[in-house]
Order: sequence, then structure tokens, then C-alpha cells
Amino acid sequence: MVDRPLQEPELVERAKRGDLRAWETIVREYQGIAFRTAYLLSGSAADAEEAAQDGFVKAYRALGRFRRGAPLKPWLLRIVANEARNRRRSAGRREALAVRAAAQVRPGDAVPSPEAALLAGDERERLLEAVNALPEDHRLAIACRYFLDLSEEDTAAALGIRRGTVKSRLARALARLRESLEAEE
Amino acid sequence: MTSLEQQLQAVGRELDYPAEPDLARAVVARLEGRRPFAWRRAAALAFAALLVAVVAALAVPQARTSLLRFFHIRGATIERVDTLPPAEERDQARGLGPAFTRAEAERRLGLRLALPPLDGEPRVHVLEGVLATVILRPHGRPVLLSEYEAARYDLLKKSASGKAVIEFVRVNGSDGLWLEGPPHTLTYFARSGEFRQRTVRIHGNVLLWTRGGLTLRLEGRLTKAQALRLAKRIR
Repeated sequence: MVDRPLQEPELVERAKRGDLRAWETIVREYQGIAFRTAYLLSGSAADAEEAAQDGFVKAYRALGRFRRGAPLKPWLLRIVANEARNRRRSAGRREALAVRAAAQVRPGDAVPSPEAALLAGDERERLLEAVNALPEDHRLAIACRYFLDLSEEDTAAALGIRRGTVKSRLARALARLRESLEAEE
Repeated sequence: MTSLEQQLQAVGRELDYPAEPDLARAVVARLEGRRPFAWRRAAALAFAALLVAVVAALAVPQARTSLLRFFHIRGATIERVDTLPPAEERDQARGLGPAFTRAEAERRLGLRLALPPLDGEPRVHVLEGVLATVILRPHGRPVLLSEYEAARYDLLKKSASGKAVIEFVRVNGSDGLWLEGPPHTLTYFARSGEFRQRTVRIHGNVLLWTRGGLTLRLEGRLTKAQALRLAKRIR
């Protein structure tokens, strides 16, 4: 008989009872998105690693307060993002997003012509610069929702705001982006 | 979803993030009471080792280098001493680590570098994944601009003799230190799996200051006024 993989609610219940292997499985599932979220919010790889690690440790210790059946991802992201924001504040770090578009072609991608690659790269950089020129609250909303591909609920959790605020902030941010990109053309 | 939203998602898929750390193992180790050997812990241990070394040096009369005064800004300390510690000679272009494009250097360092306006793409030397250095030529002569993220730990320690001028300055509203005069030594703690200490002899003048989470350092044959003017253009 083959053991079936445990589902998330089951893993959470086991972790609540002190099963660290169950918590390790959960951390492994979410560590990527937690680290990237913390990186965008803190602007430093070292701080992001610490924030995500501290966040998962705190979340484990707070599992008793986690409501059964509630979605785990936004709850975890809220805790990790809070740690990342605290580190950013204490370091007084710069405002621009500490990310750049990767230069290399990913495995499986069709290889573009040099001219097409140059144009695509230029477009990416232009868009990234326009996002970086936005006010911080707009920039982070764009980064969470589109760059990290978080849902509106997860974006709200990561930014510590309500879902309605995410919608309105994104609408204003997109409008400003359109304006700034059109002004350049 | 609009075309702009799709473009943003496409950009998001191509962003270059730092390598994802193995958090699961570290988290479980902490919860089991086994604190993993994180780099900041290594830094703390390196400082503990340094303290032990300083105490040991002071305890041996022949090796005594009495510390006269400390000057400190975040991420760097200058100490005035009677006798400089033993140091190796280093010319400016060597011992700075391999050179990369700015983008690659920033990716490796996990931070955004502060640079003055430049004519072309700079070559950024990266030492041990911690210390970035760019060679500038503001007056025809090479000047080193080094920077690192040191919000919590000192990475640089300078030792200067009694003849050196050491004074506090303000650079773009932040704290800074100006060091001018005879050669001094620079000790830095490098991260390459473990911290290690290296001391080199510096012949130029030095301006140290902080900007956001960065500690920056200009080194070269510059007057104080030239260094401050250059520092104001570094953003």
C-alpha cells in the first residue's frame, strides 16, 4: 500500500500537535513565495532570508490561533511580510524595488533574434523603471499582485491592508503607469 | 486582464531574484533548538574572535598596540593606535574580487548600488559576495568607491597612527568620517562560507559615510573637499 501525500489541512493539524516534519513540509511548500515576497518588501536578500525564517518560526508558535479551515497562504504571508517590513524600516532602506529583469533566456524558451531580444529587454526595463517611479504603496501593490502573481487576498495579507484597498490601489497604480508610459512615447 | 497587466505579469516571470535559501531545514533546526549557522551568527562569532585577538595582543607586551581612540559609524570603525598592525601591500586594482556588470553585481550582493553619474557601464568588483568596489577616475587618478550593506554588523576596521587626521563629517545629511594623512591599515571580514580577516595597507585618504542601509567608502589621493563633492554625487 502506497501512502498518499498529506493534504494541507491535515499537515496543519499535525503541526499543531507538534509534528515538526509536517511543518517542514508546509515551509517547503511556501518558502519560495515567502522569500520572494520578503525580498521585494525588504530590498535585501539577507533580510528576506531572516524575515522568512523568523516568520515561519513565529507562525509555527502561533498555530494555536490559526482558525481551522482558513487559507494558510495569506496567513503565512502576513506574518513573513510583517517581519520584512520591520527590517526595511529599521534599515531605512531605499525605496526602489531591488529586482532586475533576468538577462538570460530560460530553458524551454524559443531563442529570439538579437534585435527582438534587445527590444523585449528594453521594454522590460522601461516598464520596471516606470513601476519603480511609482509611490511606494502603489509600487508594492503592483509588485505583489503582478510580479509575484499573488491573488488579491494574498496581496492584501502581504501588504497588511484590506482587499478593497488592494483593488483601489491597483486601479490607481495602473492608471499612473499608463500615463507615464504614454508620456514617454 | 488588460494588456498592461499581462505585461507586468510577464516582467514578473523574468525578474531575477536571489537564490532561494533552504528555509525549511533552518526553521526546523530552530524549532528543535538547534540554531543553524547563519551568516550573521558567523559575523558575531568573527567579532568575538576579533575581541579575543585584541585582548590577546594587548596582553603580550612586545605585540602591544595600544588603542587610543575609536571613531565609529554604522558598519565601520576607525581606531587610532600607536603602532599599525602588520599588513600586506595592496594596489588599488587588485584584491578587490572579480568584476561584474552592475546588474550582476547587484544580484550577487542582493542590494542596489549607489553610484555617481557615469559615462559607461561600470565594472563592479565583488569581494566574497559582500563588498562591492568600483574604480572611479574623477580627476584622472583612480579612486575606489566601496560599499556594502552593514545595517547590523561592522565589516571594516581601520587602524591609523597618531599623525592621521580623523574627523567626523556630514555627507548628504548622514554621518561620515574623514581619514587623512600617513598610511593606515584596513581590516575587513570576508564571507566565504566562514568569515576571515585580512589587513591591507592603504596609502590614500578615505571618506566613510552611510546612505540608507549602505556604508560607503571613497579611497584615493583626494582632498577632503574633493571627496565630499564626489560623495554628494553618489546616489
